[in-house]
Amino acid sequence: MKETSNKYLIAALLIGIAFHGTAIFFTLESTYDALIHLFFAEHYSTSWFEPWNYKWYTGFTVMSYPPLVHQAIAALSFIGGLKFGLFTVALISIVLFITGVYRFSLLITSNRTAAGYAAILAVLSSSFVETLHVFGQLPSIIGISILMHALPEIYLWLKTGKYRYLLTSLSLIAVTVTSHHVTPIFGMIFFIFPLIGMVIMDASREQVNTMKDVTFKVFLRSFFKLFKRIVNFGFLSLVIIVGCILPYWINSKNNPITQVPIPHGSRDNFLEVTSSGLVFFLIPWGILLILLPYIFYRYYSKRYLFFGLSITLLTILGTGGTTPIPKMALGDTAFNILTLDRFTLWASIMSLPLFGEFAYRFIEGDLKTLIQDTFGAIYHRIIGGILASLFLFMTIFTMSLGYFRPSQPQKIKMLPIVNFLNQDQHDLWRYMTLGFGDQMAWLSAQTKAKSVDGNYHSARRLPELTTRPIERLENSKFKGVEGIGSLQQFLTTPEKYHLKYIFSNDKFYDPILYFCGWQRLRQLENGIMVWEKLNVPPMPSILPKDDVALWLKILWGIMHFLTVLIAFMLNIQMLWLRALKTKEKLIPAYLNFKNNYTGFSKGVLKITHIWSVILAICVSYGIYLFYIKNDSHRSPENVIMAYYDALDFKAFEKAHSLINPESNLPIAQYMLEISVTDGVLSSYAKLDALKTIVTSKTDSLASVKVITDWITPLERINKVDYKSLVKRNGKWFIQPEDINLDLPPDQLYSDNSTRYFNQGRRRVTTEQTHHEDVLKQPVLEILSAKLVKQNNHYTIIGEVQNVDNVPADVVLKGTLYNDANKELATYNAKHQVKHKLMPKEVSSFRINFEGIAWSKTQDSIPKTFNPDEFTPVAFEEQPTKFNLQVAGNVSGSDLYKATTLSALNITSEAISGSLFNSGLEEVTIPQLIISFYDADKTMIWVDHLFLKEGIRQQRQQPFEYKLLQNNTIKLINSDMKNCFVNGLPNEAISNKVVPNRIENQTQSVLQPISHPDYSYVKIEVNTYIGNPN
Amino acid sequence: MMHKHTYILVSVLMFIASFLLIAQSEIKDPFKLLTHETEFEAGQNILLKFSGYSETNPLLYCSNSYGSVVIQGTNKNTILTFEMPKSIANKTGFVNWKLLTKGTNLSGKFYITPKQEVITMETYLGPPSIEAGGTDYAMLVVIPTDPLDNPLQDSTQVNIKHQFLTSEYNNVLYTNYLIAYKNLYSETKSGRMLISSEALGTHSKEYTLNVLPAIPTNFEISYQQHHNYADGNQITTFTTSVIRDKYDNIVSDGTYVDVFITNKDNNILKTSGTTINGIATAKMIHPDHEDAWTVKAFIEGMAESAPLALNFKQVITDFEVVFSDNSRTITVGPLQSFMKQMIPDGLQVKLHFYQNDTKIKTLSKSSFEGYVTFKLNEAIIPVPNAINDTFKIIIETARIEKSFENIKL
Repeated sequence: MKETSNKYLIAALLIGIAFHGTAIFFTLESTYDALIHLFFAEHYSTSWFEPWNYKWYTGFTVMSYPPLVHQAIAALSFIGGLKFGLFTVALISIVLFITGVYRFSLLITSNRTAAGYAAILAVLSSSFVETLHVFGQLPSIIGISILMHALPEIYLWLKTGKYRYLLTSLSLIAVTVTSHHVTPIFGMIFFIFPLIGMVIMDASREQVNTMKDVTFKVFLRSFFKLFKRIVNFGFLSLVIIVGCILPYWINSKNNPITQVPIPHGSRDNFLEVTSSGLVFFLIPWGILLILLPYIFYRYYSKRYLFFGLSITLLTILGTGGTTPIPKMALGDTAFNILTLDRFTLWASIMSLPLFGEFAYRFIEGDLKTLIQDTFGAIYHRIIGGILASLFLFMTIFTMSLGYFRPSQPQKIKMLPIVNFLNQDQHDLWRYMTLGFGDQMAWLSAQTKAKSVDGNYHSARRLPELTTRPIERLENSKFKGVEGIGSLQQFLTTPEKYHLKYIFSNDKFYDPILYFCGWQRLRQLENGIMVWEKLNVPPMPSILPKDDVALWLKILWGIMHFLTVLIAFMLNIQMLWLRALKTKEKLIPAYLNFKNNYTGFSKGVLKITHIWSVILAICVSYGIYLFYIKNDSHRSPENVIMAYYDALDFKAFEKAHSLINPESNLPIAQYMLEISVTDGVLSSYAKLDALKTIVTSKTDSLASVKVITDWITPLERINKVDYKSLVKRNGKWFIQPEDINLDLPPDQLYSDNSTRYFNQGRRRVTTEQTHHEDVLKQPVLEILSAKLVKQNNHYTIIGEVQNVDNVPADVVLKGTLYNDANKELATYNAKHQVKHKLMPKEVSSFRINFEGIAWSKTQDSIPKTFNPDEFTPVAFEEQPTKFNLQVAGNVSGSDLYKATTLSALNITSEAISGSLFNSGLEEVTIPQLIISFYDADKTMIWVDHLFLKEGIRQQRQQPFEYKLLQNNTIKLINSDMKNCFVNGLPNEAISNKVVPNRIENQTQSVLQPISHPDYSYVKIEVNTYIGNPN
Repeated sequence: MMHKHTYILVSVLMFIASFLLIAQSEIKDPFKLLTHETEFEAGQNILLKFSGYSETNPLLYCSNSYGSVVIQGTNKNTILTFEMPKSIANKTGFVNWKLLTKGTNLSGKFYITPKQEVITMETYLGPPSIEAGGTDYAMLVVIPTDPLDNPLQDSTQVNIKHQFLTSEYNNVLYTNYLIAYKNLYSETKSGRMLISSEALGTHSKEYTLNVLPAIPTNFEISYQQHHNYADGNQITTFTTSVIRDKYDNIVSDGTYVDVFITNKDNNILKTSGTTINGIATAKMIHPDHEDAWTVKAFIEGMAESAPLALNFKQVITDFEVVFSDNSRTITVGPLQSFMKQMIPDGLQVKLHFYQNDTKIKTLSKSSFEGYVTFKLNEAIIPVPNAINDTFKIIIETARIEKSFENIKL
């Protein structure tokens, strides 16, 4: 029999390459994973045999991920650059996937036409589109594709026992494992086991006359007959799986993943978190959902029985947290580590052969005849039209997901950042990006500078990171307060990581950077703001690394290409022969088990109809619920919800549409009012939770209490608003709030201030800075410092003064010791200090000793974490002494001091009052630093308060600070002999610079209060200016 | 067998050793130093010559403070000549040498002196800024160096010149242990000191030393305002006198001055200013009620001003309150200032609502064109249930309270 070319397969390949091959240029770079693989590829392209990478996480090993795809990109990058490599590998993966589906389908259906249909459908299937164009999981795609190529070979080995097939199947398994380690392990269970079952079924079928005659006894007999081949294959593939990526397994054993589970959408309850349900269930299944009855009916027929069990398991595991079954089946650990979307992906891929078969039967087979006979030709066409349009809709919808709901920030031009890092030895320090999304990997690939952060969390080693359920520091705001908390630790003690530069693409992080003592350097031409921290030493020239044996390095460097080469030689030779038809070829054994596509089961058709109706009802109900929930005027709760949502996303036009139209508030006025409010709440907060309590409601009026939780970079803000609502024409509206009508006295006014500029190097040169260009460090003086214990926390409090003639940036570093002078903990002052001091200015400070949060297993992560809270260091011994190192550096930025305390009202519970901004800048976030004194006017505690609203020029802003109650503070040590300024003893400096200091001079102007623990307070003001003029 | 091998090995070794001994004893030391100079100038072509001959020319081991080197010589007509490499000949100091022969130790040393001409003046000055008053100083270190980067010989004369204000100074120093240094003390005036140095006709570049003012001394504070009414709107400016240190230097620009205001309630308000030409300016908004302030400014630990007293006169003496719409709309006003003009927008008016003598609500609004209107709709104050509940409303502004009892809703 002369074999003809399968025109369906050729069509599928042409369509696939044309469609995906063009689309990848618009999608792949904004997927979640593609750039990470690109980063790894860059590593191999520069150091093929050296697995240690210094660029992320203070160093990690690339032996933590199978390297085939990365090495392939790297090898191709030598021809046309990294992106050329990426797209070429993506194109190869598309071809491999389509041909893989074809071969797998041919194996299952034994029908070339059905397999051809399957290949065409696979091209446009929503699960493949999603995996490639939304997730960018190239290794995963290549892994599963090669696995599908391996399946027919495995079948043939088991069926025929020809060693040639054993070799080809093992070679393909090897390629699978080198491209993706999880695929063959689970593929073994979900694809190869059912395949073995199918082979035994086929072998049994040959023993008897009909499929009906295959009894368990016959089955068992065949099983024992094939047992040797199965065991041989199983054992050898295990050897391959372990051997091919041996360095990976050794690395996993030596560096076990200590990362705490990071929440993943695929583990959500899809009914509760509908977005996860959409992305991880509805899209990958797509139109296959309608065909589920057919798929299950077919896979539960005797021959495919094991595939039936497998696909059932995959389907259930893919539902994530919707049912408790996956968690029970996998166990807690595996459930929390694995991303469960892969199960749905595999289930949908497993369904493809039957999808092709169904299409074949529907378009030209027995199903067509059945429907036309039962319902008529028109009905067949209509149904066909509906199915085809649904299928295409899912494809287009999936493709457009990244367009309408971009998962990444806008594409950032990296060149200015790369240039910045190359300039002036900036790459001697580590850097960090904020708000870059997965594009940070692309930046890392382009620069030789090193980042503290990274984008492959399984490889992390710093306990500060592994104990946090966050993916990256740079998107920590999306990980709620845990993320911000982790980020704060890095920002407060950057010296530890040699972290000096931060590239911020998201102004959300600006306040925390400022209050942790960072300063703005400049804005690059791509709009990225560069922040820098003073007093950070550069990285040592020799960095630590975990070295591995040479043979592992060599194995890792050559093994994977070798597997491809071997697989290529063994398989392609056959493919060539088959394709060129130069040699008469045997018909593969699996083609002998043809299905008889006559007489489509009427029952299945009926059930499919009923199932479709149920699905349609579910979808309609879902849409209805969605509408009810989003009809903003339906109830007071809905209005409030919609209003706050609109404010959170800065959709002011939408917010205005919810305001009572009879309140005569034109949108222009509304926008104006919004635009003049600044502050941490209106400019830097993310709505986290919202609760509405209707306090009173009549037919046309309602008043509600709105309790909102906001995550800001600085702290969690809990806010209670009272809103009045009115009903007009059956729709609820919000009554607008009164705005502050305060009228400042001056229209135009002037103010003089001293400004500073530091030349840096006066001569344009790449040489080291001339010694005469090095400024003297400003002299600071520690006026007081003491170690106190508040409840169980140890803190250092005190006052520091800039006694020099130039403004200073202040870094305070405290270290605690026990009686035996053993160092117990060290930390820097975070935001309880004014980091920038004018000449002679004083600031109170407090240094908290923060531990690595939740580092102990018994510390459960609190549900309501507050970024302002911290985990104190767990001390094994009693701290009794302290060492305080203060460093000053000349800084001319952030020296705005024009905020005054304009009114005060003191009760025993609270201090309230107002701040007045007398200067020329708009204060974005005012901060009060409040020091408490006892009756003898000695300082005993320092606290702070961030104001939620900003202060415009010449206007006042009220504040209220609740006094701490039952705050027991014990003085541990007030000996200041271990206080140092710029490395010199504080006392010597004090005696030299201010020999005749008027001690306790301003104690006469301490504010007396009536409080059981404190007698006086001092209030200092620190301000963050978001947009300096 | 074993013994036999050992025996053979030992005899062979002894045989070889005997030859070596004979060879050594036969060689006499034929070398003699011909070069008698022990001092050379840096950069010269330094040759060490020896007379004598042997089959294998011995090497010369040389060592100076930078390191050691072994040199190969040339033998011509039984004169062995070693030429010092540039790495040795260009550096000043002692050079120890030793001829590596097997016989007697032929060794010695010579001294390389610097060239007596100055090409560069290596100069270090630090710190770059000091405090006025005569106690603080910066150190200037000058190292005149020759073309080969060697420091000149000790006792080379170095002239250190500096200029400060109208005076110019010249100090003559001599290098000692390769360097010349001088501590430059500040004078009582602040300003900029320019420094240069000279040795053997070569001049250094200009160095700058800033003399900054010393710590400030007590000063005066005064205020300026447009009127002394407590309208909660105008701004009073506090100005210090020119703040100087004890040597009469104006303190550095940017010096931070804290201004504390103690008001009638004994609360301490705070403003601050930074100096420009010694004068710090701080601003504060007027209170919205009659008040008396005592103002005192500080530079913490260093200086302070005498207290300053100022008073604010009450502007609002009385206001009208009109109830309408079944007592649910309350209009406060006109709120008039000292010339009967409407008070500038933004005056806070509070409404305290009491039910049966317990406060249940406080509303706060700011005035607009002299009036404030409170609307107590049912969502804010619900319709009372009990018929005999009594309601009281207190309106408060500018510390004036007006109470309205027996309100019917």
